[in-house]
Amino acid sequence: MDLSVLERVNWLQQQQMVSPDFFEILGSDGREELKRVESYLGNNNDEMQGFRHYETIDGCISRTSSFQMEQVKNNEENRVIALQPKRKTEGKTEKIENKKKKIKTEDETESSMKGKSNMSNSETSSEIQKRDYIHVRARRGEATDRHSLAERARREKLSKKMKCLQDIVPGCNKVTGKAGMLDEIINYVQSLQQQVEFLSMKLSVLNPELEFHINELSTKQFQACFTDLPEAVSKQPMMVDASSFPLQQHGSLDYSLINSNQTTILSSKDQTSSSWEIHSQCLYNNLRTDSVSSFFSHK
Amino acid sequence: MERQMINKKKRVFSFEPTKLPPSEVFTRKYISHLVPALKKLNMGKSSPQINQLTVKREVDKALALSAQEFAWSRFLLQKLSSSNNPTTTTSSSSIQTQILERSNDEDGEIEEKLKELQKLLPGGEEMNVEEILTEIGNYIKCLELQTSALKSIVQDAT
Repeated sequence: MDLSVLERVNWLQQQQMVSPDFFEILGSDGREELKRVESYLGNNNDEMQGFRHYETIDGCISRTSSFQMEQVKNNEENRVIALQPKRKTEGKTEKIENKKKKIKTEDETESSMKGKSNMSNSETSSEIQKRDYIHVRARRGEATDRHSLAERARREKLSKKMKCLQDIVPGCNKVTGKAGMLDEIINYVQSLQQQVEFLSMKLSVLNPELEFHINELSTKQFQACFTDLPEAVSKQPMMVDASSFPLQQHGSLDYSLINSNQTTILSSKDQTSSSWEIHSQCLYNNLRTDSVSSFFSHK
Repeated sequence: MERQMINKKKRVFSFEPTKLPPSEVFTRKYISHLVPALKKLNMGKSSPQINQLTVKREVDKALALSAQEFAWSRFLLQKLSSSNNPTTTTSSSSIQTQILERSNDEDGEIEEKLKELQKLLPGGEEMNVEEILTEIGNYIKCLELQTSALKSIVQDAT
């Protein structure tokens, strides 16, 4: 039965009036226990779909609700019923609160929650406190039992991660849907691995000819390279011919991420005679300025 | 932030010279691992074919050593160390048991793709879906850095 806003407000006030008595019955620990039970209810109810984590009444949508109590056992419950004034809405309340109590006495077993209730969604404001649970807001028309909530939380986590991956993998923005994105990701990883293989093959061919002067460079010089960036003067810009890189058959993938930053900026301080030393400085400068590093600093 | 899931060693990017963004740290480590190894290879000249394989191994090893914060690097190191001996390691915990998707066509596709992804990622066989997605993110980043490092080395040599 639909409740008007006024009735609902009255109900809430009444409830606040009632709850002190109710807690008296439960005893000193009652309030804590009830809260525990209520938060448990918040995570797991087929029947308690009426209780959402909403603060205000105004956003409530009133719907019909019918509630069937399957198990009424304790004497205490009868006492509670006797205490509460007889209103239809409060009848609902007391039944629900009885249920809470029963859950408490039954050690919060899930079997108590499952039942043959025919309660459809009815949203009312509740005084359920926020706890340290993962709060997944149950939307209208969705089940609020424990499993659905957990699965929904899981799915949201997964989609968050997919979004992050979308930012990493170039070309993922155009594709929508998990399958397409996963496709792109797979292709990208495969192409990266192929690149590494190819480069290492090249390296193995060139290996005897390489002169490794890199150990002669001190850490100081490297730091100077990094910090001198704003003042650095471009003396020998090195443009790499991107077309010479043969593995560009994947037209859809954007390699600008890798190929874009081939210009080097040499600091004026570090003019060395050895070409390898200059080149190795270029190496570090290359790798610093690209968008890859911007990813790490980007929030 | 969402990116913190992927960028596990997120640092404050300040202008102080001592603090470096993770990409630089990785690249430095990588090069410092790879170059001495290549030098060593240079010393003991073996036949070209073997050389290729060993270079690849060194490349992968340098990658794994430079990225030890991530799970996949551990698996990669395991693979590399056991590749000297014949291996029978792959414990394939089927991804079907871990994905709680319903089994209609679309989700079946996704499962297949996730399986493929598992194969690509070192150690992917033993991870569940969430971990795979996280690890793939930083694996891709490290691969990219590795490719650019290798490229620079190769180009500087030619």
